[in-house]
Amino acid sequence: MDIKGLQVYATFFMTIFLVVMLYGYIVYLYRSEKKGVKDYEKYGKIALDDEIDSTPIEKNPKLDNEDKGAK
Amino acid sequence: MFHWLEKNPFFFAVGVFLVIAFAGLIEILPNFAEASRPVVGLKPYTVLELAGKEVYKKDNCIACHSQLIRPFKSETDRYGQYSLSGEYAYDRPFLWGSKRTGPDLHRVGNYRSTDWHENHMWDPKSVVPQSIMPAYKHMFTNLADIDTAYAEALTVKKVFNTPYDAPNGTKLGTLDEGRAGALEEAKAIAADMKNQEVKDAVAAGKIPEIVALIAYLNRLK
Amino acid sequence: MQSNAALEYDYTVAKLFTYTAILFGIIGMTVGTLIAAQLAFPELNYLIGEYGTFSRLRPLHTDVVIYGFMLSGIWATFYYVGQRVLKVSMAESKFLMFLGKFHFGLYFVGALAVVVSLLLGITQSKEYAEFEWPFDIVIVVIWVTWGLSIFGLIGIRREKSLYISLWYYIAAFLGVAMLYLFNNMAVPTYFASGGIGSILHSVSMYSGTNDALVQWWFGHNAVAFVFTVAIIAQIYYFLPKESGQAIYSYKLSLLSFWGLMFVYLWAGSHHLVWSTVPDWMQTMGTVFSVVLILPSWGSAINMLLTMKGEWNQLTENPLIKLMVLASTFYMLSTIEGPIQSIKSVNAIAHFTDWIPGHVHDGVLGWVGFMTMAALFHMAPRMFKKEIYSKKLIDIQFWVQTTGIVLYFTSMWIAGITQGMMWRAVDEYGNLMYSFIDTVAVLHPYYTIRAVAGLLYLVGFFIFAYNMVRTMTSAKKITEEPANRTPMAA
Repeated sequence: MDIKGLQVYATFFMTIFLVVMLYGYIVYLYRSEKKGVKDYEKYGKIALDDEIDSTPIEKNPKLDNEDKGAK
Repeated sequence: MFHWLEKNPFFFAVGVFLVIAFAGLIEILPNFAEASRPVVGLKPYTVLELAGKEVYKKDNCIACHSQLIRPFKSETDRYGQYSLSGEYAYDRPFLWGSKRTGPDLHRVGNYRSTDWHENHMWDPKSVVPQSIMPAYKHMFTNLADIDTAYAEALTVKKVFNTPYDAPNGTKLGTLDEGRAGALEEAKAIAADMKNQEVKDAVAAGKIPEIVALIAYLNRLK
Repeated sequence: MQSNAALEYDYTVAKLFTYTAILFGIIGMTVGTLIAAQLAFPELNYLIGEYGTFSRLRPLHTDVVIYGFMLSGIWATFYYVGQRVLKVSMAESKFLMFLGKFHFGLYFVGALAVVVSLLLGITQSKEYAEFEWPFDIVIVVIWVTWGLSIFGLIGIRREKSLYISLWYYIAAFLGVAMLYLFNNMAVPTYFASGGIGSILHSVSMYSGTNDALVQWWFGHNAVAFVFTVAIIAQIYYFLPKESGQAIYSYKLSLLSFWGLMFVYLWAGSHHLVWSTVPDWMQTMGTVFSVVLILPSWGSAINMLLTMKGEWNQLTENPLIKLMVLASTFYMLSTIEGPIQSIKSVNAIAHFTDWIPGHVHDGVLGWVGFMTMAALFHMAPRMFKKEIYSKKLIDIQFWVQTTGIVLYFTSMWIAGITQGMMWRAVDEYGNLMYSFIDTVAVLHPYYTIRAVAGLLYLVGFFIFAYNMVRTMTSAKKITEEPANRTPMAA
């Protein structure tokens, strides 16, 4: 197959793949919220409650033992 | 899986990169070989023309002039044959521009002459009374950078195999030959000009920017 | 987790970038107004000899505004927002502090060098990528430093999940890095030829049509990643924070993000419709440009819905007013762009003043207003003083809004007029107008546009004055405001 054919197939399948992924993502987002596994909307609060001493929405476990994990 | 991505900044970044890089890979790379093939009979720029192209770049003519004739009757009537990909094979960079505050210049060499350009660059209003183009009088005194133009020609010859010194092609030769060739070409152009300072300069072996620029513009056909 | 009461966010670097945003905003917009006036009154081309012509100054205007004003704004907000949404202070890491200051220092020096080089005409003549190779290297170092800052800050974060704004900052960083590198691939002629000619000169690795493709893949996207992606990063933080309302739908913001990432890069070839690039690429550019409406409007609608039930704030708080107008202009320009990329429209619009018109309703309305609103929001928190004058913000808002409306309406008319005149034929099929007829007819519109530019510039000076007075002589505040930015009447 020449390069042009490859181009066409690559475009086609990659587009399909990404579209499936995107729709999968939509389904995943709404289902996980419905089932109560995960509440995405709570992340919106990260912007509102952003003092340095306010409690994180989700703590970074790497920092559990000591303050800095410089990486 | 999605949530994992959201919490792992490194893999998240990789994901973003893949998604945005994809379009470039597909769109651009495969076309490369084909689009860079020159049309039959296309010769590389001479040293003087390259120096003129540098003047065109330096004063940023692309801010107002395109070099791309689109395949419409209204454009081919106005500017001539529509542009072909292979005509740009030796244009590094391309100079299509994105705005036509002034007219297209891709084939300006077909219908404008040395003395027209001379008058126009000195005072555009003297040729086109309603023109809003600025005068470029400094081009009549600033000297063109012939050595850099030669260096560019040598570079594209070595690195990109641009066919200099091929039979019936553009001659490049050594630096001294390149300088001499440019001066000879400049003399032919200066002969058609009336500005005495420019004529004197060329006679003294110096090449003002305007001479190089006109060589380049005359070559656009 | 932490009981360290003394720990505070450190805004040193954010402040530095705030100063340059104001400085480069003034320079870039002044030059812009001047070159707009030059088109109406060509005598203005000769103010500073060979360095003052329209053609020399045009890249100076675009680059100073994009890479001076907008990037400064983006970095000022990043060094502010980044700390806050990760709940970590730059004061906690000496290394990050150094990196931030180094980032600023190199940027400032680099920006000044670039200004001088453009005035001298040292350029690759590729739009928005004019800088020759030594400057490019400096720019790459600056960019990598920013990347290290982003990921360094993320590395020591307390908040595990990355807020959506950070996603956009990361994307802006990656996108521009990739595009800039590929577009600026060039061979320095001095070294390749064994020491002949100017050391600054280089020759592009790509030629002709290929170069055009790479350039507009870059031109559309790099600038768009700065104009769009990094500005969305700002509004997703500042609008919720200023209004006290969480984003209307966080899920929608995530979806729009991935949609935008996937679609955006395909749209670049719409700059090359009717050119010599292959047909299928032109079509691809058009199709994806139209699809691009979805994620763009997804973000914009999300922002407007965030204000649901709180529209009274629009009249009470001028910063909300600035940001809501910014999202509205974002919607306008993201519907206008796809329209222009449709082949038949493009045939008329391309090469005309409609294109600068389109760019400017995006940058003046969306980028400019958002950046200024962000800086106004940050100022009281960084300098611990209230905004010097609310009234001045209101005046600025109306002066600049008038300017924007005059700008894009005059350029719409100018562009379509010229596009139609170029193709007008008489009953025998001959062209009706010589080129110069189509230039002369634009004079009134160019004059209006120059006035529009002047109004926006005056508004920017009001902004700058307000900011400087805020820093120097406004009333001190003791406690950091939770949401609404405090201002003196």
